[in-house]
Amino acid sequence: MILDRLAREVEALLFASDAPLSARQLGELTGSGEESLVQAVERIDAAFREQGHAFHVVEVAGGYRIATDPEYGPVVSQLFEGQKPGRLTRAALETLAVIAYSQPCSRAAIEAIRGVNCDSALRTLIERDMVKISGRMESPGRPLLYATTTSFLEYFGLADLDHLPRMEEISGLLGMTSSELEERDLFRTDDHGE
Amino acid sequence: MPADVPPGDGPGCRIRLDSFEGPLDLLLYLIRRDELDICDVPVAHVAEQYLLYIRAAQDLNLDVASEYLVMAATLTSIKSRSLLPSHAAEGEEALDPGAELRRQLILYRAFREIAKELQRSEETWRDIFTSPGERVRWAPEGAGVEPGQAGLLDLLRALESLTAEEEPAPVHSVAPRGWTITECIEALERAILPGRSTSFSEVLGAGPSRRRVVAYFVAILELVRRGWLSVRQPFPFAEITMERTGRWSLDS
Repeated sequence: MILDRLAREVEALLFASDAPLSARQLGELTGSGEESLVQAVERIDAAFREQGHAFHVVEVAGGYRIATDPEYGPVVSQLFEGQKPGRLTRAALETLAVIAYSQPCSRAAIEAIRGVNCDSALRTLIERDMVKISGRMESPGRPLLYATTTSFLEYFGLADLDHLPRMEEISGLLGMTSSELEERDLFRTDDHGE
Repeated sequence: MPADVPPGDGPGCRIRLDSFEGPLDLLLYLIRRDELDICDVPVAHVAEQYLLYIRAAQDLNLDVASEYLVMAATLTSIKSRSLLPSHAAEGEEALDPGAELRRQLILYRAFREIAKELQRSEETWRDIFTSPGERVRWAPEGAGVEPGQAGLLDLLRALESLTAEEEPAPVHSVAPRGWTITECIEALERAILPGRSTSFSEVLGAGPSRRRVVAYFVAILELVRRGWLSVRQPFPFAEITMERTGRWSLDS
């Protein structure tokens, strides 16, 4: 497949950008409509696949990027030996999960759900730029509120917050009373099944 | 003192407390292990099993975080309340002492599952590389913040670095003046007469201040440099004697 002019411009932009480019941004840069850009991105991705390239176009953190296939992770990782941050701990992941679904939220809210002190997990997440302070709650003590960052989306390869796994179900859970929760227990079968 | 750790006799002793992410995690483990329904947890049974764990951990001298102890108290309280007859008035629904705990367990489990899904994504995306952003993303010092993207933390960091730079240098008050080298040279000219050798202590006079000693010494070094003065000291720390040379004042 020979790419048309627009697709090649988009390809060049995606290649050179160090951040995801949204359809809107691509539209502004190429002077084309968003619709035709989404199609251009699809053509690029199709061309990559057709020609058996080691990369494809991914939709992440509100935009498009050119990314390598996970298959080549081990070989590419060598380039970043020692630079790649370690994996997040379970405590950090759980804290991040609570923030992601109920942001902006206070530390107390996170701790109420996890049942443990989340101080150090929060600190790690802020240091790793997964979480930011998004403001203060208008309640006694004006506690800080936390929210996830764009880096969070990129780190987990999420297109946007709506693409979090089971977003609707989980955010629904938060507002439920205990009896409603028991009726709608999502993971009821998991406990026996695992 | 090395504690004589007894081999675990309860089911709890074989698992370390720190492999749990807190009391809720431990409770979920117990509920799953004993194949119980989370919505119909026999509180008495779970409380018993839970306390067994905590005691085992304490017996092993493990540091039991306070959250675990709070949960132990909560469980005991729920258990005792569930044994008491309910005093709910007519038409009023009896308060279920375990409801809040069940709610917590269900919510926590939901997020625990989400955390597992995130972990899977993390694993996948560790092997995916984008071009050329990785250099920025994994640079040891984070790149600058885009306009409009700065968070409270960025601002605080910026403020911190600013205040660190703006810290005023420590101020020393300096005494107005002592002696200038020129003044000392003039004094030396009066003190060291032609053809006569004069000692350093003679020049300084009785009880000279440290500043005076230093000023005169520097002046003497200056004169020696100019070749106007010859200086003798028989051994270290001995009296210094000075004499004009033939070049005294020739250059001035």
